[in-house]
Amino acid sequence: MKKSIHYLIYLTLFLSYLTTTTHSWKKEEFRNCNQTPFCKRARSRHPHSCNLIPSDVTITNNGDLVAKLKTKPNPDQDSSDDHNPDLEFSLSVYKDGILRVKIHENQEKDKKRFEVPDVVLDEFESQKLWLQRFKKEVIGDDLLESFVVYLSDGYEVVLRSDPFEVFVREQGSGGARILSFNSHGLFDFEQLRVKKEGEDWEERFRSHTDSRPYGPQSISFDVSFYGADFVYGIPEHATSLALKPTSGPGVEESEPYRLFNLDVFEYLAESPFGLYGSIPFMLSHGKSHGTSGFFWLNAAEMQIDVLGSGWDAESKIALPSDQKRIDTLWMSEAGIVDAFFFVGPKPKDVVKQYASVTGTSAMPQLFATGYHQCRWNYKDEEDVKNVDSKFDEHDIPYDVLWLDIEHTDGKRYFTWDRTLFPNPEQMQNDLASRGRRMVTIVDPHIKRDEGYHIHKEASKNGYYVKDASGKDYDGWCWPGSSSYIDMVNPDIRSWWADKFALSEYVGSTPSLYIWNDMNEPSVFNGPEVTMPRDALHYGNVEHRELHNAYGYYFHMATSDGLLKRGGGNDRPFVLSRAFFPGTQRYGTVWTGDNTAEWEQLRVSIPMILTLGLTGITFSGADVGGFFGNPDTELLVRWYQVAAYLPFFRGHAHHDTKRREPWLFGERNTQLMRDAIRVRYTLLPYFYTLFREANVTGVPVARPLWMEFPEDEATYSNDEAFMVGNGLLVQGVYTQRAKDVTVYLPNGPTWFDLRSGAAFKGGKTYKIEVTDADIPVFQRAGTIIPRKDRFRRSTVQMENDPYTLVIAVDSSGAAEGELYIDDGKSYDFKQGAYLHRRFTFSDGKLTSVNLATLGTKFLSDCTIERIILLGHSSKPKSARIEPSNNVAEVELGPLQIRSGVQSSVLTIRKPNVRVSDDWTIKLL
Amino acid sequence: MNNLFIFITSISLFFFIINRSVVASFSSNDLIGVAPQDEVYYKELWSSGGGSVKCRDGSKSFTKAQLNDDFCDCFDGTDEPGTSACPTGKFYCRNAGHSPLIVFSSRINDGICDCCDGSDEYDGKTNCTNTCWEAGKVARDALKQKIATYQQGVTIRKHETDEAKISAAKDEAELSKLKSEEKVLKGIVEKLKEHKEQIEKVLEKERIQKEKEEKQKKEAEESKLKEQKGEDKVDEPVKSDDDKADILDNSPAGQEHAESALEVVHNAHASLDNGEEHSVMEEDTSEVAPVSDPDTGLGSKGEDATKDIDSLSREDLGREIGSRWTGKKTEQQNHDVDDVKNDDRTSVDVQDEESNGYDTETEEDHQNYEDDTEDHMDDVADEANDDSSSSYNYEPDEEVDMSDIESESNPSWFEKIKKTVRDVLQAINPLQTPVDTSEAETVRKEYDEANGKLLKLRSKISRLTKKLKSDFGPEKEFYSLYGQCFESKQNKYVYKVCPFKQATQEEGYSTTRLGNWKNFEESYSVMLFENGDNCWNGPDRSLKVRLRCGLKVEVADVNEPSRCEYAATLTTPALCLEGKLKELKDELEVLDKQQPQIHDEL
Repeated sequence: MKKSIHYLIYLTLFLSYLTTTTHSWKKEEFRNCNQTPFCKRARSRHPHSCNLIPSDVTITNNGDLVAKLKTKPNPDQDSSDDHNPDLEFSLSVYKDGILRVKIHENQEKDKKRFEVPDVVLDEFESQKLWLQRFKKEVIGDDLLESFVVYLSDGYEVVLRSDPFEVFVREQGSGGARILSFNSHGLFDFEQLRVKKEGEDWEERFRSHTDSRPYGPQSISFDVSFYGADFVYGIPEHATSLALKPTSGPGVEESEPYRLFNLDVFEYLAESPFGLYGSIPFMLSHGKSHGTSGFFWLNAAEMQIDVLGSGWDAESKIALPSDQKRIDTLWMSEAGIVDAFFFVGPKPKDVVKQYASVTGTSAMPQLFATGYHQCRWNYKDEEDVKNVDSKFDEHDIPYDVLWLDIEHTDGKRYFTWDRTLFPNPEQMQNDLASRGRRMVTIVDPHIKRDEGYHIHKEASKNGYYVKDASGKDYDGWCWPGSSSYIDMVNPDIRSWWADKFALSEYVGSTPSLYIWNDMNEPSVFNGPEVTMPRDALHYGNVEHRELHNAYGYYFHMATSDGLLKRGGGNDRPFVLSRAFFPGTQRYGTVWTGDNTAEWEQLRVSIPMILTLGLTGITFSGADVGGFFGNPDTELLVRWYQVAAYLPFFRGHAHHDTKRREPWLFGERNTQLMRDAIRVRYTLLPYFYTLFREANVTGVPVARPLWMEFPEDEATYSNDEAFMVGNGLLVQGVYTQRAKDVTVYLPNGPTWFDLRSGAAFKGGKTYKIEVTDADIPVFQRAGTIIPRKDRFRRSTVQMENDPYTLVIAVDSSGAAEGELYIDDGKSYDFKQGAYLHRRFTFSDGKLTSVNLATLGTKFLSDCTIERIILLGHSSKPKSARIEPSNNVAEVELGPLQIRSGVQSSVLTIRKPNVRVSDDWTIKLL
Repeated sequence: MNNLFIFITSISLFFFIINRSVVASFSSNDLIGVAPQDEVYYKELWSSGGGSVKCRDGSKSFTKAQLNDDFCDCFDGTDEPGTSACPTGKFYCRNAGHSPLIVFSSRINDGICDCCDGSDEYDGKTNCTNTCWEAGKVARDALKQKIATYQQGVTIRKHETDEAKISAAKDEAELSKLKSEEKVLKGIVEKLKEHKEQIEKVLEKERIQKEKEEKQKKEAEESKLKEQKGEDKVDEPVKSDDDKADILDNSPAGQEHAESALEVVHNAHASLDNGEEHSVMEEDTSEVAPVSDPDTGLGSKGEDATKDIDSLSREDLGREIGSRWTGKKTEQQNHDVDDVKNDDRTSVDVQDEESNGYDTETEEDHQNYEDDTEDHMDDVADEANDDSSSSYNYEPDEEVDMSDIESESNPSWFEKIKKTVRDVLQAINPLQTPVDTSEAETVRKEYDEANGKLLKLRSKISRLTKKLKSDFGPEKEFYSLYGQCFESKQNKYVYKVCPFKQATQEEGYSTTRLGNWKNFEESYSVMLFENGDNCWNGPDRSLKVRLRCGLKVEVADVNEPSRCEYAATLTTPALCLEGKLKELKDELEVLDKQQPQIHDEL
């Protein structure tokens, strides 16, 4: 009898599990647009309802164009009623085709609207072009004159008066539009005002009440991208690279893309829902114009609709242009309009333009570009020792071993659980003796424990974020009752940074680096698992105004701490989960708590590509998936793809089974070792690409269309990606795949790096795959540097010789670059680096110096092997100048592995130094 | 050093001779990284015509100029035994004074001294001091120590296996003795029962007779009374007599008595059992419901389990949300607010505290579980009771009672009981009437006693049968571990491993079952315990005990490499195998042989 009751219970539970299984994500615990008043209001506004007109248009002494935005007198309405004060409009133009528009309200009020500091580079201001004058022009049948200013060669900006609109166009009155603001009249700016009698400003969501003491203050507007086939960007969402429309005829009605940094438990692989970080930067790309971009610097909650074509058909008002375009609606709860328009026109131009505003990626240390091994948690020193030694036992390289929250004394960061980690220095030094680093976690929630020195100082000095009543905000996170450091204040950041000094962080050594998690911030008992919007920061700024930037400031402070610790000459490594524009200057991000499922492996590609497009190139996803147990095939496939992505770390939840690469039998160990080794052989190429990203902002992992902007077949491809301009990587995202479909972009020939076989571009191929690897192709015309020797970690690879792989194009030419420095310091800024360009043509390979600061960096490294793909003749030897030596040419393997064929032309032991100028001529 | 891929090669005298002759023809520098016994492979390179040698994988061949020229010609590394040029190459270091070592080619000139003789770092960038002599001494000492342990261990093991055979034989003998005793006792019990029933029948007859008489008497009186007062009823005394008869009438197999006695015990604990059952069910609801995907093992509280999180206090809400990541149940978190560190474990422990709160084991710590009350209970339950869903707690007195049949030093009990019964049967003639009530009482008592003994005997037989059915290894070398438990204290936990039974983790008064005995694995070098307490969001706990040679039986290095999958080592003489001892001795011999050489060289 009892038994049958048991069965009944199990059955019931099983049934309830069936009905809830697909949605472990707690949708109802997060606000949707309808539950978010500002979003609901903005979404229901009708096109062309904006009734503002610029007036008093002038050029200031600072070279800006300024105006007042006045409310148009409405003949139908009593003008005295509800009359808004004028808004302040300014328009500035910067080098390389960047337009900045600011719209603000009169700030002579008690409450100042928040303008996000510390994001726009100081250098950016110096790139401002001082406007001298504007032209006047009547647009179409307008009644009022509009104002036209120069933007860059071939582009100009128009401030249209009635209807109020700002747009960028190609030069000349008939010039094609590129980007526009408020072309659909959806601009609305809720100015701060006094509460009306009986008005209720509070907002309630579930058990939480937001006091909203300043009332409505949201901003919304429309932005149009002309000549666009697709729009991209605005991370972080687990969704496709090309953003699907969220609203419009024939579009399945969905939530807008939400930008609100949240700790989402078990996020879905396909959702416009906001995740851990926010970058309000959107790019468009299309055949006719190319690429353009729009960035709104605003740290409040944002919601963005991508409108399907015909969305405003009902308004029956003539479209501003019959050009193909994509319209978008941007809505934010607070802040100001501080918007940047980038004209492109090439994909790399736009990312460079964006980087000139928010900065390029920090140059990582070489070790950080290797493989990272993490788990929640490596439990104690013995565990660490054991995992470390297993890598050596299996001859698998890795660079960093990570410790999650359990290493601390009761989740008090900067401390150690001394039972489990009695000798942390010794442990780190032991790893360091084999060239390996350690990373520990430091989160922003501080345990409210009087005995904890960080808490004691922070509470004494008033360094915590306050609640609406002015008391230290008390939330709940890993340690239980916790408060959160107010990182918006530069003084507090400086205090925090000092905590990373070796003398302060007891048990730390110079080989220890940091991981910032939970910095959205995650608050287990807060509304939507984060901090209440009415919490107060430094300068009386409400949390609602800067929420999306909170994690950024925390990341910044931690990164500054490591910089200080290293005397300013040790490049920090800090991984952060939350991010904001500018994060790329401080470190690395990853895509948070993903799940061990094929579709999550699949979506990690567009997520990482999107981060790269929006500035953060150094990013990755947890290999294997954080939650759940990947089956072995998924794990292997994940390693195989992730080896080509910028940040390469295996990580797992503590409920999962161990999954270090050697735990799945000899064959699978071999497969994962091969995948990791591929990464290590390509590190010279990766490091060169990281340098390119550091200089230009062009990401390491690129969508195909960034390299092939003319090839429409690439625009929405987010299964394959480019590493630099030379490698095309196609992941395998399904179980037991026997073949995969690969599109090779139009133009060059492609060489399969497994066989050396050549494929014509512009076609889709069905490529056979085995479990051994995934399809990777080298683009003809490129030269890729490798180091084909295997070591324990990057440190031991320093003196190893290079291999160059030359993929010759149809004219017999190819080129590539190699960047080398000491891999850790900032000496490269003083010229301590090598930057070589290799060019191959007419059977001759030449190495020339690209370094502009002269060579102060020495390397004895040589080139041991040069592989030629697609070279037509069959030379027997090669002459090296200036040494006049002769090197043999023979058939060799493309990758050295047992059982491979010697099928590719190989120059054997040219042994030229990478630091020298030389030529090698095939004879 | 231990972490490296270690190859210990035994070098035979034969190879020494060959090596000498080969080495004479080329400088050892050319063959850096080649093991002495492999040097012949490269011999052809020095042949007069400038010959070539095939790569071992047969793919190519290479010349003397290509040998160790820091360029990989053979993809299997044949041509580059002494450089890092081939990824799959292996480097041999002689390590004179210690054991030779073969390291991956990735270790060559990587700035880290891997070989104790430093031969892997020869590019002049790294200075390695030769530590082979010291390391070799340490290794030899350790090896000697190990051999000493093995030597003693082998002796102990021999002794133990002999003992085991004797014990097993004894146990077998005991078992057959018990079985024959059981047979006899069964006969006695049956006789007594018969006797008793006859007496009871007679008694019953007498009673009915008496009743009748009394009735008549009463009726006579009543009719008298009736005349005075009218009618009345006097059924009651009769009924009470019936009741009495029921109790006396002990059912056919004589088991009902035991059963009802157990029932009493059972009932006494019924409320506790129910409590336990209840809490288990509660656990189930909260544990099973959240599992949303059995494949991935994802745990999340389903919508149903989300409860109404809005109604929670701020603190409880924080715990509830946090528990999604930690897998920690909020209801239990209240207990350990200050120690979130051991979240998962604590929560489990708290559950166990609830469910095991009435388990005798937590209060009494029986090192020898054979005396464990619970065990007896199971056996008795098997015999006497088919209700599989119940679990019993024994009355301690029962066990005390047990000693009279258990004690082998007192074998006379059996004779005694036989005699007593004989006396009783002779003295009392059941057919004689009227029955002496005191005699009836004696028969009844004797019957109860004999029957109780029979039950105990049966339980003992069942236990012994079970023991003898266990797998004690090919030489019964694990025989002595039966019925024993071994403890290891690690931080705040006490781990208890009871071979052939179960393994637990104890913290204070809470016990978590790590697993029930499954079997030996990997040719008796691993003990497996499975189906332990379930982990929230995870698998059932399990423990893998790796066995090692040691003089004493000791548990050590308890670990939890993956969540709820435990590992430990257990030293026991049972693993001190003669063959292994020989291997170790050979190993030492090889090491010792190298020694004179290093002296020569030094």
